Amino acid sequence: MSSNAARQDATADSQGPPAVDSEGLSLTYADGTEAVRDVSLTIPRGEFFGFLGPNGAGKTTTIKLLSTLLAPTGGTARINGYDVVDERSAVRGTVGYMAQHISVDTELTARENLRFACEAYGVTGGDRIDELLDLVDLADVADTPAGNFSGGMQKRLDAAMALVHDPALVFLDEPTTGLDPKARNRLWDYFERINDAGTTIFLTTQYLEEADALCDRLAVIRDGELVADDSPSALKRRLGPSRLTIDVAGGQEAAENAARAARQSGLVTDETVLETTADGLDVATPAPTEDGPDLLVALRDAGVSVTGFDIEKATLDDVFLAIADDGTTGLDVERPQPTAAAGESA
Amino acid sequence: MSAATPDRPTPAGNGLPRDVWVNFKRWSRKAMRNPTAFFLEIAVGVLSLLLFSAVFGDVGELALEAAGYGGVEYLTYLVPAVFMQATMGSAFTSGVGLVGDLESGMFEKVTVTPMGWTAVLLGKAAADLLRILVQVVVVLALAVALGASVETGVSGVVGIAAVCLLVGLLFMSVANILGVLVRDEEAINAASMLFMFPLLFLSPAYIPVADDVAWLARLNPITYGVDATRALVLGEDVSTVLSVTRFGGIYDTLVPSVAILVGLNVLVGALAVWVLRRASSADAG
Repeated sequence: MSSNAARQDATADSQGPPAVDSEGLSLTYADGTEAVRDVSLTIPRGEFFGFLGPNGAGKTTTIKLLSTLLAPTGGTARINGYDVVDERSAVRGTVGYMAQHISVDTELTARENLRFACEAYGVTGGDRIDELLDLVDLADVADTPAGNFSGGMQKRLDAAMALVHDPALVFLDEPTTGLDPKARNRLWDYFERINDAGTTIFLTTQYLEEADALCDRLAVIRDGELVADDSPSALKRRLGPSRLTIDVAGGQEAAENAARAARQSGLVTDETVLETTADGLDVATPAPTEDGPDLLVALRDAGVSVTGFDIEKATLDDVFLAIADDGTTGLDVERPQPTAAAGESA
Repeated sequence: MSAATPDRPTPAGNGLPRDVWVNFKRWSRKAMRNPTAFFLEIAVGVLSLLLFSAVFGDVGELALEAAGYGGVEYLTYLVPAVFMQATMGSAFTSGVGLVGDLESGMFEKVTVTPMGWTAVLLGKAAADLLRILVQVVVVLALAVALGASVETGVSGVVGIAAVCLLVGLLFMSVANILGVLVRDEEAINAASMLFMFPLLFLSPAYIPVADDVAWLARLNPITYGVDATRALVLGEDVSTVLSVTRFGGIYDTLVPSVAILVGLNVLVGALAVWVLRRASSADAG
């Protein structure tokens, strides 16, 4: 999917303005709380963009700023080429928004909810309602009040309501939180389908596997500031070291020998952490697929007999934890280059 | 950039009249979806008319005679009170609807559409006013069946409806402001009692106003609603707190009362729009 993103990137100019283009976007409340600080983001059309961060980091606030639900106190943002302050109504007419909490009218049926949403956006034609009901698998219960639905069904209805007008950009604020795995997979399919059809998606999530599976690009926000912005694989490479576990025959002494051999081979660099264990070696490295075989060769040349070998690749959870942990390492001091700072200090 | 962006996506949306209609339909549909509440509202109005006239009938007529309403049946005197009571009750239900939207997230969902707040409010108000209108018609029909009469005829009935809608709109604004501030359905229901009882009893609704509370009645918008509808029911100048004589006949009551209600509507209505707009742009959650 990343190559897809690259293509979108390359053709973004010919397709018109980016879906999101913010510069120094900030929101400071009257009491001085800085909910969002200096967020500059460009999201090309067609991208599946993931926005991560701990609870209270400013994810929802950023979405509300970009979707005109909150007015920024600093900076600018253009959505689909329209200014969020001066052209608010045009922004609202070109985006869909699915809030973190289920927002459906429980007194109305699924069909009536969708009809209201269609009419609110000036979408005419009954076909669209049936099409959306099919898309989210609610056709069977179209005439049941939404209040009788399960949480998963309400979420799907909610998602459909955000899409009635086929928006160029849709904001999905934790769309799958609280859903069972089956319902979650269903929504994932659905989001991928509309993204394939050209809709730009701005997604926040607490499920890192969700971000990993769906997103072309991820940004991480912490304490109201962007601290990372890259493709999932690049983030994993940069922030989450992988772990090589090598078991050797001969106990502690053999492990010491192996460590010496590894150091002598020049494989241990500044970015690599090597530890000896009771069974052998434990190596944290940013390049496991290169370092692993090289290390094995070096150990064989040194006459160490290897009894076990395992590569444990970084997950986005590692990335996320690395970024969250940065809070204790004084990252905030290096405010001008938040993205680079996050990369270096990890 | 804006000069070179001809291929920005075209925003979806309607004009104002269509937006009003869309919201009117939604709230009317919701009212129909919940007919029990609606019928209960009507039942309260009907019961009030029956109970008050049965229980206070004899006492009321004594009070009426003492206040110079000789020959007026208490039932006829009571009808405006029930109008006001039903109107206020329905108006507060409007606030409950708003709180429901705030709690369900529909408020935010509506905000993020291209529909303007004026259209959203007007559409909701129109649906709520329709509910008030139905109640007024039911109460009036019952009162006429029980022997009351509207001296000013059909035009009087239209006038009564108009006054009730003015009072309804005023208290809908109050209820919606409270809705945004307290965001709690039960609190709105409690507040409706807090408003209805003092305002109704400190007005000439059930019995003519006693002299020592006349100054309070003068500050009470319900007084003007009661006076205006009663002038239309009885076909005479019944103003209790104002002494206007320049318009003649029932207009001495109607003109100032309606003017005061319109003025209050403009003031409180503007406040309601402001409060809602503020809530919609700062609903950080």
